Amino acid sequence: MNPDRLPGPIAGLMGRLVDASAGERLAVSVAALLTAILIGGVVTLVAGVFATCSDPILGPFCYNPLAVYRYLFLAPLSDPFVLQETLKNSALLLFTGLAVAVSFRAGLFNIGTQGQLVLGALAAALVAVRVGPAAPDGAVGGVLIAGVAMLAGAVVGGLYAAIPGALKAYADANEVITTIMLNFIASDVAFFLVSAYFQKPGSGSVETRDVPAAATFGPGLALAMAVLLVLAVTYLLWGTAFGYDLRTAGIQPDAADYAGVDAKRMMVTSMTLSGAIGGLGGAVWVLMSVGRWVNGVPALGFDGITVSVLASNNPLGVLFAGPLFGSMQAGSLSIDFQLGVPRQLVGVIRGLVILLVAMPELFRTLGVRWGMGGVR
Amino acid sequence: MRPSPTRRLAGLGAFVLAVIMLTAIVELFPNTVVGAAIGGALATAGSILGIMDSAYAASALRLSVPIAFAALGGIFAERSGVINIGLEGLLILSAFTGVAVAHWLTGDGTTAVGPGIVLLLVIAVLLAVAGALLGLLGDTTGEIAVRAGGGVLATAALAGLTVALAGPTLAATWLAFYTAVLVSTAFALLFAVVTIEYRADQVIAGLAVWLIALGVAPFASNVIWGAVNSPGVDTLGTWTVPGLSELPVLGTVLFNAGPVVYFLLLATPLSWYVLAHTSFGYWVRASGENPKALDTAGVDVRRVRYAAVLLSGVFSGIGGAGLSLGRVGSFVGSGTTMIDGRGWIGITAMLFGNYNPFGAFGASLLFAALDALQFRLQQLNYAVPDSLMQTVPYVTVIIVLALVGRTRTPDAAGEHYESDED
Repeated sequence: MNPDRLPGPIAGLMGRLVDASAGERLAVSVAALLTAILIGGVVTLVAGVFATCSDPILGPFCYNPLAVYRYLFLAPLSDPFVLQETLKNSALLLFTGLAVAVSFRAGLFNIGTQGQLVLGALAAALVAVRVGPAAPDGAVGGVLIAGVAMLAGAVVGGLYAAIPGALKAYADANEVITTIMLNFIASDVAFFLVSAYFQKPGSGSVETRDVPAAATFGPGLALAMAVLLVLAVTYLLWGTAFGYDLRTAGIQPDAADYAGVDAKRMMVTSMTLSGAIGGLGGAVWVLMSVGRWVNGVPALGFDGITVSVLASNNPLGVLFAGPLFGSMQAGSLSIDFQLGVPRQLVGVIRGLVILLVAMPELFRTLGVRWGMGGVR
Repeated sequence: MRPSPTRRLAGLGAFVLAVIMLTAIVELFPNTVVGAAIGGALATAGSILGIMDSAYAASALRLSVPIAFAALGGIFAERSGVINIGLEGLLILSAFTGVAVAHWLTGDGTTAVGPGIVLLLVIAVLLAVAGALLGLLGDTTGEIAVRAGGGVLATAALAGLTVALAGPTLAATWLAFYTAVLVSTAFALLFAVVTIEYRADQVIAGLAVWLIALGVAPFASNVIWGAVNSPGVDTLGTWTVPGLSELPVLGTVLFNAGPVVYFLLLATPLSWYVLAHTSFGYWVRASGENPKALDTAGVDVRRVRYAAVLLSGVFSGIGGAGLSLGRVGSFVGSGTTMIDGRGWIGITAMLFGNYNPFGAFGASLLFAALDALQFRLQQLNYAVPDSLMQTVPYVTVIIVLALVGRTRTPDAAGEHYESDED
């Protein structure tokens, strides 16, 4: 098929798919993931020596890495509960992975997806609880409440991300540090707001009232929305003039400036877009996973960094990397319950993947040494 | 563009603002001790000023340890051209390692110093071997052997001296401290290999070090203790200088403090001296500003950068273990761990202090003073939500960053340098 005959965005897509460097990035990602899994396995095996257990697998080793990975990757196939959790986590990681990818594409390190998600989730929960009684009964009311709640999540997440964007653009404040600080602030402020004003009566933990049941939905719908959003953002980034400006500002700020793009405004806009997607993820977490805002929001924003980095910050790659980590996060509960291996292992693998993807040179060297021209 | 003095002054103003913010938060919730009184604002401000006595100053100095050591380490790395934003991760790893080893050596009521020495020496030997394999220790076999052997022997001598001087439990705690510093250095070495050898993006690799630490420390805590938080261990105690500690104010603040506080008071001027007045300091600065010229002058840019990044690991190790073993006496691995962003605050202090050790120390002290104030206000039982007061240091970091703006980073920072020779 001749890419030239296709409509603009699709031709661009085809062009990227056949691009040799895209293949190389894919090879690096796969190699990095496999290496991270290998190192994670060794870490598990060694950690087992220090753990106390009644029936070790062999000698001093308490943990069996193969069993761990069976749970992390295959449990969804056999256990309906884990499958359900996998689908939920996958949908959420599509949102956060996409949020991070958008900012990285714009040349901004938005490490604050976590904070944007926490506050977006809180806004969604509060709005849903508030408008619940006013909404009509039945499915129409549910759709209405969910729609308004998700809008609130996106708006709050977007505004919260606009702060570091504006600070970067107009005051030169390093966005890595400001977004990390804003993560701390978001969880403290959300904790304060809920415990002081929106606490669910009679509850021992810090949480809001339940959102109306009609507004909640299952992972299927969430996944469908996430995939649609991924496709929409892909089109936005590669099929529109705005997307071209955003990406140019990320790769070649000077060139973008020369081409008449207001680089400063673009920083704020792309951070806002990224934050809105993260906030939307928070709203989905409330409406799909927990049915209210509850303290101790999972680290979906940090997993989003790994998902995006593993996907070379490519939204379509996020479609694969998201479910991969969704499965691992869901399986992490199983390894904790069934094998006694602490679920934080997934956090270790998360960091290892980022480290290894960051060093493509290693795999190039190895590829050349082992005579695999394909990697080069 | 160096930030103008006005902007730095404005940054200082941010700290005043932060204190006012704390006062305002206290004021928003008037159902407190002072609240009923007339002129609550004045009373609160007055009581906040009343808190600032010598005990408060001492606590601020203690709290500045992890922040300032991270900042000092960051200065060396970044001035040599390697942006190390993994400092937070190194603090976490050393804080955990210190407590884990201390608990291993002193845990069940008995104290075993021997295994601690063995562990320390094993790590020292591994580091020496890694250094030799990377070609960091010299060009000839003799040179390598002398330096590697010297390093290991120095570690052994330090361990021996510690055991000879301190009682068994204290000696074990010190051995745990040394081990934590070496482990942090080892991770810094990993970061150096990844960024210098394999040209990884320094920001992404630094983030990875942080996220790995954020996973490893609670994971290992769970493996060892079955919980993300550790049981309590002994601390390094305090060193009281006889006579001088009797001095008013200064005695409490400077001469009756934890050992790591003294280390900090030594490390700050020492770092300044090394950077400004030794040839190593000159190489570090040249390697960050103009690596090509340094290379032409016959100095190995690669080795200088390795040395600087390893130094950031040593400093972070002292800072992290200094927090867990020097002050707290346990490891907290829940949430964002007990380090709670102090590495990031350290990076901000480094920027605010314009990569000058004294400036960075001063900035760290300001952040720590804010932290101490926040702790004090919580202790005074104001009915103020702790969670809101905890945000004040973080908000101040953002304001300071916005006011100081882009600092003049070394020209070659963040860039890989490839010598033409090979």
